[in-house]
Amino acid sequence: MTSSDVWHADHDDLERFLDGRVGAVFAASLEAHVLACESCRAQLNGMAFEPEVEARWTGVRSRIEDPAPGAVEAFLRRLGLSQEATSLLAAVPSLRAGWLLGVGVSVAFAGLASLLSADLGLTLFLLVAPLAPVAGVAAAFGGDADPSHEIVTTTPFSAGRLLSLRTLAVLASSVPLAVAVGLLLPTPAWVAVAWLGPALAGVTATLALAPVAGLTVSSAVVGVAWTSAVVAADRASDPMALVGTASQLVCVLVIVVASAALLHQRSYDPLGRLS
Amino acid sequence: MTDVVLDRIGKHYGKDVALDEIDLTFGRGVTGLLGPNGAGKTTLLRIIATALAADTGTVRVLGQDPLTTRGRTAIRRRLGYLPQEAGFPRGFTVFRFIDYFAILKEWDDRDARHDEVRRVVDAVDLTDVATKRIQSLSGGQRRRVLLAQALLGRPGLLVLDEPTNGLDPAQRARLRDLLSTAGETSTLLVSTHQTDDVAALCERVVVLEHGRVLFDGSVSGLIATADGKVWMSGERSSLARNAWRTGSGLWRNVGAPPAGADLVAPTLEDAYLMLVGDRALAEVGSTS
Repeated sequence: MTSSDVWHADHDDLERFLDGRVGAVFAASLEAHVLACESCRAQLNGMAFEPEVEARWTGVRSRIEDPAPGAVEAFLRRLGLSQEATSLLAAVPSLRAGWLLGVGVSVAFAGLASLLSADLGLTLFLLVAPLAPVAGVAAAFGGDADPSHEIVTTTPFSAGRLLSLRTLAVLASSVPLAVAVGLLLPTPAWVAVAWLGPALAGVTATLALAPVAGLTVSSAVVGVAWTSAVVAADRASDPMALVGTASQLVCVLVIVVASAALLHQRSYDPLGRLS
Repeated sequence: MTDVVLDRIGKHYGKDVALDEIDLTFGRGVTGLLGPNGAGKTTLLRIIATALAADTGTVRVLGQDPLTTRGRTAIRRRLGYLPQEAGFPRGFTVFRFIDYFAILKEWDDRDARHDEVRRVVDAVDLTDVATKRIQSLSGGQRRRVLLAQALLGRPGLLVLDEPTNGLDPAQRARLRDLLSTAGETSTLLVSTHQTDDVAALCERVVVLEHGRVLFDGSVSGLIATADGKVWMSGERSSLARNAWRTGSGLWRNVGAPPAGADLVAPTLEDAYLMLVGDRALAEVGSTS
């Protein structure tokens, strides 16, 4: 009979051994015993490897199941958004790279047009920049944008929370791009942000009209209204009127009225839920 | 226990009547909804699943009123819903799609959520393709992905609109097993065109046509309505309301049999055809 048959290593000693918290002599003794004692070896294996293997396996499995996100999503995660939040954003087109590229190209086209004609460039810019977030909001909700829309409508997730998250994401993604292009236009620098008035009015009006007409129709109504205003200003050869004082006051009025309508509709449902 | 109470429910689309003031209640177990296209099955399920409001009547689901925000949310917390048609966000894998819905179903703890996603993916036999993009899957696999999200959280009320669409016989058999198990603890409503699914799975069957309830009772009760009305003959009988040539070369006739006819035991399909007539026969022919 060997000594390993008559005693077994204490669990705490094995833990301290694993952590390197025992002296050299005791470590050598324990090691010799573990090599000879199957029971203690099994105990040590369990303590040493199972958590590590489990942790590694969980890590590998997570990497496989949740592969590297796209460029926009990865950027949002670096900004601190959770995986849950970015999943909710990634399900609709308005934050995919292709969509953002489209917004960028449209706004950049307006900027380039200004090289040919300052008025034409300004008119195109003022047509495109405010409508980009409106289109983005329309693409963030509803059946056309979300192919699994009907299932989404029957989940308990707060419609208001989803609405806020996706609208803010649309604004955060499209506004800086348009502001940057606006700053390059041969117009006063304030024009680069002045279009935000019509943009916010368009977004709030779209959201306020959606419960009545649906998001596709409401965004189309807003788009037609703004395009008509741009055409009228162009015909009057006064594109700056679109972002002038009178226009901004109208926009503020629209924002106030639309926001009040949004707040008033307690059962507002951007997903086409029961009203 | 009655989980769904529908009292004089009506729904119109313009001048078309989808549901004509029907009364129905549903409790624990599996109930099959049968009916031709346009009978009102999908409208009925969408109303129960809080995806649509009825024009008239009152609805109570899981003891809640779906017309109130609080009631709707309470229902949705215990609901699993598979619509007749649904698409997928571009680029999503199976795991990610179901995880997306688990987030929407308020599974906030990531580890627990991922464990639940794995459970439902395994339940619909898609573990092997869990990390594949949904666009690369077959139609049957996509249908099972949609079914998997409905199973998240073992809901007390499962509303499934044509869950066996696009599935092969082996997949359908597996699905029946899965759904019959779910029906032991949940109220399960299944709309289908497959009478054999209803016969194999459902304790109760409701037949709809033109938005009205034609039959509501047990599967055996529906089959019994065709007793003595199905016979085999060497050629198509002029007395048959519906008839078709079987693989044996004999004609299977459903209707009022002639004297001395070779009567056979009816199936659920025979009884269904007797009930809804030629319109359903044309549909069976087009789907088989």
